[in-house]
Amino acid sequence: MSQLTDTTRRPAASGFGAGYVAGIRDVVVLELKQRLRSRGWYIMLAIWFILTGLVTWLTWASWNAQREAQQAYSNFMPPDTGPGSMIFEVVLAFVLLFALLVAPALSANAVNGDRAGGTLAILQVTLLRPGQILWGKFFAAWAAALAFLVASTPFLVIGVALGGMTPGHVIVALLMLAVEVGVVCAIGVGISALAGRPLFSIVVTYLAVAGLVFGSLIAFGLGTGLSQGTIMANQAQYRNYEPLQPVPDETAPQEPEYTCSGPLRAQPAVRTERVAWMLAMNPYVVVADAIPYTVRVNSGLGMSSPVGAIESISQGARYAMAGPEGTYPCANGEAKPQYLAQSTPLWPLGLGLQLLLAGLLMWLGWRSLRTPAHRLARGTRIA
Amino acid sequence: MTENWDKIGIPAGLESPRQNGISATAVSRSFGQVHAVEHMDFHAPAGKVTALIGPNGAGKTTLLLMLASLLAPDSGTVTVDGLDPQHHRAEVRKRIGWMPDTLGVWESLTAREILTQIARFYQLPKAGIPQRVTGMLDRVRLSDLADQPARVLSRGQQQRLSLARALIHDPSVLLLDEPASGLDPGSRVELRVMLRQLAAEGKSIVVSSHVLSELDEIADAAVFVNQGKTVRHQTTDEAAASGRRYAISATDGAALAAKLTEIGLAFRVEDGRRPAVSLVLLNDDDAARLLRDLVLAGVGVSSFAPASGALEETYMNLEGERR
Repeated sequence: MSQLTDTTRRPAASGFGAGYVAGIRDVVVLELKQRLRSRGWYIMLAIWFILTGLVTWLTWASWNAQREAQQAYSNFMPPDTGPGSMIFEVVLAFVLLFALLVAPALSANAVNGDRAGGTLAILQVTLLRPGQILWGKFFAAWAAALAFLVASTPFLVIGVALGGMTPGHVIVALLMLAVEVGVVCAIGVGISALAGRPLFSIVVTYLAVAGLVFGSLIAFGLGTGLSQGTIMANQAQYRNYEPLQPVPDETAPQEPEYTCSGPLRAQPAVRTERVAWMLAMNPYVVVADAIPYTVRVNSGLGMSSPVGAIESISQGARYAMAGPEGTYPCANGEAKPQYLAQSTPLWPLGLGLQLLLAGLLMWLGWRSLRTPAHRLARGTRIA
Repeated sequence: MTENWDKIGIPAGLESPRQNGISATAVSRSFGQVHAVEHMDFHAPAGKVTALIGPNGAGKTTLLLMLASLLAPDSGTVTVDGLDPQHHRAEVRKRIGWMPDTLGVWESLTAREILTQIARFYQLPKAGIPQRVTGMLDRVRLSDLADQPARVLSRGQQQRLSLARALIHDPSVLLLDEPASGLDPGSRVELRVMLRQLAAEGKSIVVSSHVLSELDEIADAAVFVNQGKTVRHQTTDEAAASGRRYAISATDGAALAAKLTEIGLAFRVEDGRRPAVSLVLLNDDDAARLLRDLVLAGVGVSSFAPASGALEETYMNLEGERR
């Protein structure tokens, strides 16, 4: 949340002070009064609550069924971590998905809806500054969207309560979800100030969200195809398989299972680090990467792999970001860790790019709200 | 202009009368290829009601938007009490009350809440807002409906709410775009009385309207615009002095026609529902004299009345010139 408010206060800081903030608050009050009186919002909130509850319950039930099946047909007992991690991940993914779907609906008609209703010019003709109107609309839309997160909090808490998660996970997850929702709201409000018709701006905002969620994946995938390069590497010698080797020190950094030898040679490699920034813009990557997970060590069963969806997404993205220099076996003659430590987070980059996009749209929206207006979009009437 | 006055040290109260009220000098504004307003001059002095008259699409609303400081003119200047909205934004906004032709109301809010919010947006002292809002609701007779959501208000009531909204910060300039449309006759009379009161308080009031007979009673002066240009500036007295068309009907149309021909007046036979003739008379004395002559001559005059308002006469003449 802190990242967003830092940028949101930028125009406010330019010499208006308390009066400026008071104006924003008045606009927020006006907006929220209207939203709180519309029945649709409550209906959506109720549907949201029921759906999230249903998903939580189904995840828990399916985990239980799976465990019973495993107990019935084999002697293999999985480590008893409880369903917490899984419920948490499923609910988190679901909440993020629906938050991304709900936020445009709550924000993308904020300005041009008022324009169509003839109430925007009434605000513009008062002493309110365009920035106050825009920020007021943004904070109101954000607050309305945050109510949906609040409604889903109980289920994230259940996820933690049922298994090996800490309250810290919930707090970080909620914080990141709130920021992501804020980004989408800012995009929606910005577009709504630019587009003439509410329908158009809502569609464009949904497309922007789809662009972040799917477009970033597609762009990354296509981008990797164009990022062929070479890397200097020598030969990797893998160790023999040594089953059930006890791990001496759990916290020690993991040793790679191979040694490097021989002359360095140019090897073809995909320079994913050139296009990883696109992947970083994905809201799922941002949220997953920001949630802390314990650095796993070799469990003794050979290859260590990320456990759970959040970790997999985070590791995958970091792998792409590190590029062949950091991940190719024996690049530059050095053995590479299989597992990238949390010390190289990706989410600040992704969030930064998202904030840049949202900030740009908000700035363009602010320009279109300035009065006396010099330029009007074709076919729009100011009043 | 203001700067020059300041340099020679004339106190604010002695500024030129031209600086009071709202005026536009040679303003132009085009939207793409459409020249909505071209070199239009407009002045509405303080304490007067100025009508803005013109056919649909003449640029009335565009001019009002520029006067309301929502739209920037491509060229020319707008001044409100001598201040330029581009540079003294807040000062100008405090002085302008604007009632648009579209009734923007927040439907789920009550009339009282709407006025309270607007008062806050104008940064009125917080302690005084409740009384001010109650006072305005009384003034536009919405006290009974003050705590109903605005969506239950009728169009006329919403119009009155819109007027209260435009007046909440006690502006010195009031811009009303088609304020009488959708009002019942009783409310129109009320609006007329209210606008005269506001003008008497020293506000300059600009009314754009199509209902010209209404404006005869309200307006002190009229600015006629057409095709984005100021066509004529005329006070209501001037309009009345330039002659007015009277419609006369008589039980015996032929006798009436004969008598008028005998007096030597040019007249026109109207093809309305009732047989009547109409003719232009210069002033009220002429009308009185003609009526007396007709009655003395034994013509059975059944009606003798102005066929149109004074402003309407000018308007129709302008329409004629355009064709």
